[in-house]
Amino acid sequence: MIALLVPAALLLGVVFVVPLFRYAWLSGHADSVLTGLVAVPNHGANWWRLLHDARFWQDAQQTLRFAGVSVSLELLLALVIALLLDQRWRGRGAIRALSLIPWALPTTVMALGWRWIFNTPYGPLEQAAGLMGLPALNILSSPSTSWLATVLGDVWKTTPFAALILLAGLQTIPSDLYEALRLEGGGPGVCFRRITLPLLQPYIALALLFRLAQAFGVFDLIQVMTGGGPAGSTESLALYAYLNAMRFLDFGYSATVMMGSFLLLVSLCLLFWLSLQWLQRWLGRT
Amino acid sequence: MIIRRLKSISVSLLALLVSLVLIPGGLFWARMASVEHVSILMPAPFADASQDLVKDFNQQHRGEIQLEAIRGPLETESISDLAISSLLLGDAPFDALLMDVTWLPKYAAAGWLVPLDPWFTADDVDALAAGAREGNTYDGHLYRWPFTADMGLLYWRTDLMEEPPKSFDELVTISQSLQHRGLVPWGYVWQGRQYEGLSCVFLEVIDGFNGFWIQPDSGAIGLDQPPGVKAASWLRSLISSGVSPQAVTNFAEPEALQSFKTGDAAFMRNWPYAWAELQKADSAVRGNVGVTTMVSDHGASPTATLGSWGLALLKTSSHPEATAEAIRFLTSEESQKTLYLGYGYTPTVQALFRDPELLAVNPILPNLLQALDHTKARPETPLYAQFSDVLQRDLSGVLTADRSPPDGMGQATSTSNAILRSAGEVMP
Repeated sequence: MIALLVPAALLLGVVFVVPLFRYAWLSGHADSVLTGLVAVPNHGANWWRLLHDARFWQDAQQTLRFAGVSVSLELLLALVIALLLDQRWRGRGAIRALSLIPWALPTTVMALGWRWIFNTPYGPLEQAAGLMGLPALNILSSPSTSWLATVLGDVWKTTPFAALILLAGLQTIPSDLYEALRLEGGGPGVCFRRITLPLLQPYIALALLFRLAQAFGVFDLIQVMTGGGPAGSTESLALYAYLNAMRFLDFGYSATVMMGSFLLLVSLCLLFWLSLQWLQRWLGRT
Repeated sequence: MIIRRLKSISVSLLALLVSLVLIPGGLFWARMASVEHVSILMPAPFADASQDLVKDFNQQHRGEIQLEAIRGPLETESISDLAISSLLLGDAPFDALLMDVTWLPKYAAAGWLVPLDPWFTADDVDALAAGAREGNTYDGHLYRWPFTADMGLLYWRTDLMEEPPKSFDELVTISQSLQHRGLVPWGYVWQGRQYEGLSCVFLEVIDGFNGFWIQPDSGAIGLDQPPGVKAASWLRSLISSGVSPQAVTNFAEPEALQSFKTGDAAFMRNWPYAWAELQKADSAVRGNVGVTTMVSDHGASPTATLGSWGLALLKTSSHPEATAEAIRFLTSEESQKTLYLGYGYTPTVQALFRDPELLAVNPILPNLLQALDHTKARPETPLYAQFSDVLQRDLSGVLTADRSPPDGMGQATSTSNAILRSAGEVMP
């Protein structure tokens, strides 16, 4: 049995474990344009710098804010969409296919689209606001609103993905469970709380973990939509790591930023896993 | 007898035929094998514009060099990403790279470039316009030869005023009076988005206030000194006084051009390429546009940020000689004329700015030369990208009303100093 896992384990090792160790190793070295791109051990100086790097922690906060808000919105919307698409109604097949379009679009194309939609003063949103007599919105020009615009872009694009997972989950729930509960006199609210939610819970957890990991590493959407601005208010950790490697040619510090965000993500997932365990116990008790 | 004779004739004919085919074929093959293939990575528009030149070059070097201009991404930083990725892998599939002026110290320090000194003489350098001589050397070696000149310009509307402004105050006064009379919604549009363009804008303003950004040799940072703070305050006041729209903090070149082209602004800061765009049929300001150098403080000389693209020879090239030949050809006076007449690329050779044939096509050529005399390169250090990033971030903070100018510039200065310090630890 275990022998059968070897090919998969090898593949994972090559594409995941090896790079991870390589990055961990690199984060202990100075490797930049100043060292002639040669790795020189610098005894944890990168990590010291990371701990005191206000920009890293600001970006970590911003990335968490982005991931937290967009993933929560996505899951809520996805649940509603999945429930709708699970019902039998005319034209359901077509709508199911249509709802996947945002997910199928390349992120860069869609991010350019959003940038145009939010364009001041020529974008459609500003034009509509102008017609209604509102003052200029300047959404992408203000640190307090531009991050919300990136959240919107992400929610629009990835809600279908979460909806698809939840829909698959809904279809595994046997319909006789609902029939039995209805015979006992349970209304739709009870059905949802006592059958749908508990049985859907593993799928919610799956969608949550997938989306959280993905949103935490957000890069292309932000790079195209705002470039991290204004005032660095939308910069994500992945964007910061990219800047360090490709623009500043500082691979040692870039690796440290990547490792730092990896550790943050792992602890975040652990936290979620623990709270899910707790939620499960709580659901089981009531 | 006859048959045998015929046979021997046919055999010798065959031999002749075979040799007729084989010998030239073999010669051709031998020549083909000795043809050196040279490829140059360029942003797509430059590669397209160079196609005719490449054809001419290949005609002239038939059997010796086969040149190819590879179309790269359009955006400046994307092409750098592509080049850096392949250089990091050790074997770049190109011999030369068309590079932006700010990349040079970084690429040279990384050891990716071969000096061009053997192929260009001091006379060649002297033939260049003053502004085109800058930004090509690092550590005393020539690493890049200019392909087209580029510098920041102030565009103004000839139908709205007699003379363009010279000082910061004049620009604001003229703008406000035009706005007051309802002739334009906005006075001045520029590049305020958090990206490299903002650093270019800022360099012109801080220099206009007689200040400086960084002196790479001494490591002095001038951002938090009075001219730096004044520059940040002036840019911020443009927005708060309504001379520039608040949306300017998200403008790159295309957005500024769009605003000016539709007649929504009296002034625009942009590069020479915008001129041709403003003369197109869909431009509302066609025929009403003048070009001048950036405004400055009373008594200070104006500054134009040096842009410019140039060709650099990569270390991974196995045909340096042939590549240098191609670089010489593509940047020759003749080629620059072709590129200017066909695509409006600003020449780098001084003599071309007085060429009557070129002047007939474009009346702004003298203005471009004037601006080229006032160019200033962005700080020439391998750490430039970091310094620029810090400035963009903190200046964007000032412009989007997050922070006060002294606070933002102070922060930019201390972060820049930290970068210098940690660089000093690596390179004592």
